[in-house]
Amino acid sequence: MRLADRLARPVFVAIVALVLAFVTLPSLVVVVVAFGDKSIMMFPPDAWSLRWFERALTYPDFRKGMVNGLYISAWASLLAVAVGTMGAYAIDRFRFRGSALLESLLLSPLVIPHFTLGVGLLILASGLGLSRGYAVVVLCHLILVVPFVMRSVYVSLKNIDPMLERAAASLGARPLTVFLRIHLPLLAPGLAGGWLFAFILSFNEFTATLFVTNNTTQTLPVAMYNYVREYADPTMAALSALLIGITALFLVVANRFLGLDRILSIGSHR
Amino acid sequence: MSAAETRQGAEGDVSLSVDRVVKSFGDARAVDDVSLKVRRGEFVTLLGPSGCGKTTLLNLIAGFLAPESGEIFIDGAPISGLSPFERNIGVVFQNYALFPHMTVAENVGFGLKMRKVGKAEVERRVQEALEMVRLPQMGDRRPRQLSGGQQQRIALARALVIRPQLILLDEPFSAIDKNLRAEMQVELKTIQRQVGITTIFVTHDQSEALSMSDRIAVMSQGRVQQLSEPIELYRRPANSFVASFIGEINRLACTRRRDADCVLLEHGAVRLRLPAARVPGEGTGDSMLYVRPEALRAVDPGTPEANLCDGTVDAQVYQGTHVDLIVKADNGWLLRVREPGFDALERWPVGARLGVHADLAEACVY
Amino acid sequence: MAIDGRRPTLLPWFIAPAALVAMLLVASLAMLFQYSFRAHLPGTLDVGGFTLDNFQDLGKWLYLRVFIDSLVISAWTAGLSLLLGYPLALALVRCRSPWLKAAILIAVIIPMFTGDIVRTYSWLIVLGTRGFINGSLLGLGVIDAPIPLLFTTTAVVVALVQYSLPVIVVILSAAISHIDSDYEKAAASLGAGPLSVLWNVTLPLSMPGILSGTVTIFAWTMSAFATPQLVGGGKVNMVSNMVYHLGFASFNFPFAAVLSMVSLLLIMMVLALLGLWLRRLERRGFAG
Repeated sequence: MRLADRLARPVFVAIVALVLAFVTLPSLVVVVVAFGDKSIMMFPPDAWSLRWFERALTYPDFRKGMVNGLYISAWASLLAVAVGTMGAYAIDRFRFRGSALLESLLLSPLVIPHFTLGVGLLILASGLGLSRGYAVVVLCHLILVVPFVMRSVYVSLKNIDPMLERAAASLGARPLTVFLRIHLPLLAPGLAGGWLFAFILSFNEFTATLFVTNNTTQTLPVAMYNYVREYADPTMAALSALLIGITALFLVVANRFLGLDRILSIGSHR
Repeated sequence: MSAAETRQGAEGDVSLSVDRVVKSFGDARAVDDVSLKVRRGEFVTLLGPSGCGKTTLLNLIAGFLAPESGEIFIDGAPISGLSPFERNIGVVFQNYALFPHMTVAENVGFGLKMRKVGKAEVERRVQEALEMVRLPQMGDRRPRQLSGGQQQRIALARALVIRPQLILLDEPFSAIDKNLRAEMQVELKTIQRQVGITTIFVTHDQSEALSMSDRIAVMSQGRVQQLSEPIELYRRPANSFVASFIGEINRLACTRRRDADCVLLEHGAVRLRLPAARVPGEGTGDSMLYVRPEALRAVDPGTPEANLCDGTVDAQVYQGTHVDLIVKADNGWLLRVREPGFDALERWPVGARLGVHADLAEACVY
Repeated sequence: MAIDGRRPTLLPWFIAPAALVAMLLVASLAMLFQYSFRAHLPGTLDVGGFTLDNFQDLGKWLYLRVFIDSLVISAWTAGLSLLLGYPLALALVRCRSPWLKAAILIAVIIPMFTGDIVRTYSWLIVLGTRGFINGSLLGLGVIDAPIPLLFTTTAVVVALVQYSLPVIVVILSAAISHIDSDYEKAAASLGAGPLSVLWNVTLPLSMPGILSGTVTIFAWTMSAFATPQLVGGGKVNMVSNMVYHLGFASFNFPFAAVLSMVSLLLIMMVLALLGLWLRRLERRGFAG
């Protein structure tokens, strides 16, 4: 074996380790900074404290943003599961006139810039005389996360034996019964993954949300953005550390019970 | 009621009637003007190579596909206006298609539930069906906990428990071990006879078809080439496709011409005389003589017994129960001669001269 | 596979909600289109009559510059993401220990699930004057005074690359895992060393994934907002930042609409090109 080939493996491992470090470094730095004591963020902190966590959890805008976010994401993700599941099921099973158009429209938010959609919805809402209320935000998130639910439905449907539908029909099951008793139970794990994904994306969505929210409806990411522009203390670091911790925990659990591969096949293209 | 008795039945005993049915996919005619009648209780096999239209025909009968023209009748009533769920046909699928999220009992009871049968009655009939397929203890299991053969039997129970007018089996044994397959074939046949249900069986495996069927419909290019009992199919194939498709057969090129009430077949120095009744068609010219290896026998060359040709042994193929001699005839034919046992290995070594005797009553010309 | 011919009567009820969502999307894009032809009335939120002036403004160097910067930043981000993402994707697919695999996967995709703001904020801490890099370098005595790292194009690209890595790794590992390992074994049996196998077999066969991953990141970066907004700090402007500024500082929604439309069109064009390219690859025998 040539020298280059013999060196290939250790060099490869080193490269992978460096890239992994690059990806994870910012998160680790944030967690460390969050425990600093000074009211200006610095690395490394010269004294340690938990006070920024306390402030992050009590700061009114964050609390309000959290509640708004949970409320908006719950509505958006549940609606997305209902709309996306029925839509994707109908498109996949029963090709109908215009199904291709409907499908590409519903999937298009994957490629439309979020600010484009945000501006468009803002103009539409004001044109319709709707103020920037919760409904507009929920609808905006609904549009943005429906593609992910549809993807998960497609992936799950692909894994369902098409003969099951025929078997059920031959035993006397009508199409609605086939949907409710055969396909829906088999889609359930995929839908749970799709819902989770939709919820997380909606909860974290920032760009489009910035355009369609105001001071009362702002979600956590928008509140955090406004905070960063005004203050430089580590409160944001503490909140970020909390969110990173929760996300990591969430992913570990999701990997254990759902298999991350499954969730990722949903999000594989963005 | 045995199949033989059924066969005596009147026209009114037709269970399934397919009448001039056509189905195309794009330009290809998958089912091309097919008609056939199946009697009550009869076991009819649709046999043919892949792409011959047998599965399409099955799907048309089940209602998964709609015919372009023609009509299908079950017990005299047209059914092409009915959705699959409105028909009363049991289907056993190639991969069984058991519902993975239901227990075995829920699977078997599904069709009864769809028919709004009472709970107690469902339970009783499910148990009965499970006993029929000899798996009475398996009700609480999930399909994936069962072996292939067991899943197969559950699929059969699920299709039969609804007391369908007809049962369709789509290559049900193709996913089963070869060893288990023979056992399952016997079992299926026994249950079918017990229940007395009309059965349409789709397979590409001719030995399966020959051993199980009352009648076999050989299909090719969307058409039924021949519909007859297994023995007839084997001994009197209706055309060259059936002759070549079923079993092994020697195809021997020759020219033919009419000679009084006989047909004269010639190739090189070989001349054969067959009664004209045995040879369909009037024409003169190039033909093929079809004769099975077991209708040939190796004899001493040059004797009157060697009524087909003389030749040389080119190779020996030992097959356990018999030996096939590959013979190069003096007129250029290449034949396979089947000798029972293994004596032929010594008696007719490679390079030996031999004569070939043919039982011409078993030969066909097309 | 549905059953031939018959449609369930309930089908419209399944389609209707999805159609409503699609209509909402179409309506907001239509409003955008409509606004791009309306006159801006300075100082108000209202718009005037039909005009084509907004499109003339597109030619101004200020705006042209923003588009060019966005394209350059996107190209750099896409290229670097590919370069860093490929080894990671390869490691992810080839890793034999399921435990290590899960660990790598989770480490890579955490940023994907924490959202724009947390990710971007992290980079403010890493690159800030009292941040990780300056703090470490000062501590080690390499430098005497903090060096300005934030608010530069490089900083924006670095943050965007980290932001894009999870996505491109997922796309690339899907492509690599679809390569039949027999090809690699065949090459090895013919005398190719590991590097040669990588260069001559694995890389070419993952071409469709490389292409769609890179282009996806390019298009995605074109619409990035939070990262250039915070890490760029007003010094580095991409289209999104200009749109936000036009909308919420100048209330010039007609021109914001024009910029939004143009970037949507640009992205569509890039993706259409990708589609053509992929189809050509497929015709040449690469699995799609």
